[in-house]
Amino acid sequence: MFSAWNPSQPEISDLIIQHDPATLERLPVRKADVRAVFQKFGNRKALRVINALPERDGIFDSAAIDRLFVIVHSEMQRLAEEFYHGGRVWELLQPVILAIRASGVAKNDRLRVVDIGCGIGYTVRWLAARSPLAAQGVDLVGMDLNSTLIREATRLARAENLPCRFVHGDAFSPANSGHIYLSTGVLHHFRGDDLANFFRRHELPETQAFLYYDFQPSFLAGPGSWFFHIIRMRTALARHDGVLSALRVHSAQTLVTAARSASPGFASGMYGRQIWRTPLPRVFHSLIGLRRPLIPEFRRALGHRIGRLDELA
Amino acid sequence: MTLFVLYLLATLDGALCGFRAFAGRSALIHKRAYYSHALLIGTVAAQVASFLSLLVLSVAVALSSHRAELRGDLQAAAGRMLWVFLPYAAAVCLNLALRALPSTDIRAATSVMALGPLTGLRPFVMIAGVLYGILSSRLLETKFIGIFVLAAMLLLETVLSRIASRRQLRELDSVA
Repeated sequence: MFSAWNPSQPEISDLIIQHDPATLERLPVRKADVRAVFQKFGNRKALRVINALPERDGIFDSAAIDRLFVIVHSEMQRLAEEFYHGGRVWELLQPVILAIRASGVAKNDRLRVVDIGCGIGYTVRWLAARSPLAAQGVDLVGMDLNSTLIREATRLARAENLPCRFVHGDAFSPANSGHIYLSTGVLHHFRGDDLANFFRRHELPETQAFLYYDFQPSFLAGPGSWFFHIIRMRTALARHDGVLSALRVHSAQTLVTAARSASPGFASGMYGRQIWRTPLPRVFHSLIGLRRPLIPEFRRALGHRIGRLDELA
Repeated sequence: MTLFVLYLLATLDGALCGFRAFAGRSALIHKRAYYSHALLIGTVAAQVASFLSLLVLSVAVALSSHRAELRGDLQAAAGRMLWVFLPYAAAVCLNLALRALPSTDIRAATSVMALGPLTGLRPFVMIAGVLYGILSSRLLETKFIGIFVLAAMLLLETVLSRIASRRQLRELDSVA
């Protein structure tokens, strides 16, 4: 196996930006520390990427790293556009919202959809631009721990007058919690106990559902992702991390087991794993969690797409 | 006629190069105007490349002591190139047409299984097409013109990418 494809190692972008978990303040990151992580894995490709990143006195130049992140996230948005990701989220979000409204839960509250780790906010901005959710009074919120990406998401939303907002902060804090949580490509960043801890945080009284999208592991994920990133992505960081993230993804079994054990208040299962009824895997699969009283109405609202839903338990 | 078909293919290729060069550099949601502009820049760049190729061809013909033979040799080489370029262009157009179908799976599949790999194949198709065209040509001038056209086509995407990249960086600077 190529050293850059070892799924035990983190992604470079997980390490080069660090925040204080309590204050969310940006912390200085030493290049040597990040290099040491990938030296341990013998990942020369990662080392070349890290060496090329600008630094000042051994500390990554935060302004340059931020600028790079905005460029990388714009490239990532292109992939999301090619996979029609906005439409896929809307396909599943629509029946969830119908089920919540039919159940009478959150009747007096403005329904809030929170996208965790939203980056530059593609999903939220797509929903604001292309779905009737905002007109129906749904509060569309994107959240990320990276303040630069939040600033860029806000700028982009303003540039197009989109009815959504972006917050730099913790999505599960009392001030920011949502009725429905979304995420894309975030789950694989949580390893080991962190995955269970993440799901444990969903047990909030107002939270009714979560829809989490991530790459689906398959024998094609490594070479397919490598080829697609060579063709479509331009930055060395995106090419390295994009391929590695496709290899680090959790299996459906791991996700469902973690969600069911750590969030027992939700019935959870996978959605949309195969293309139609063929054995061909979709690039993305989604983990869905719902409060149990919502299930009958959700299944009704799914209509002919019910065949894409695995068991919810 | 053969040269005109090659010109049309170069224009289509230029437009799509323009699209690819600008794709992934704007994170707006509504991008019709942005991509129209990208297609236009690509089309204009293809006109420049085509004009330069035509200029080189005209000079070569004008300076040649065996014009009729050179014209015939060029026509034959261009005809052979079409045997490679036309199926490739047809595959690209077919997959672009499939994206009109109202199925996200089919649309996404065209990217993953066809348009992505076809993009990767583009330089190789260019090289194969031109080599197939000029290798069995009799005259050195035809081979030279073929190589010039190949260089122009391969440079097209690089130049467009540089233009798009500079524009993106300027925008980022203005925001910062």
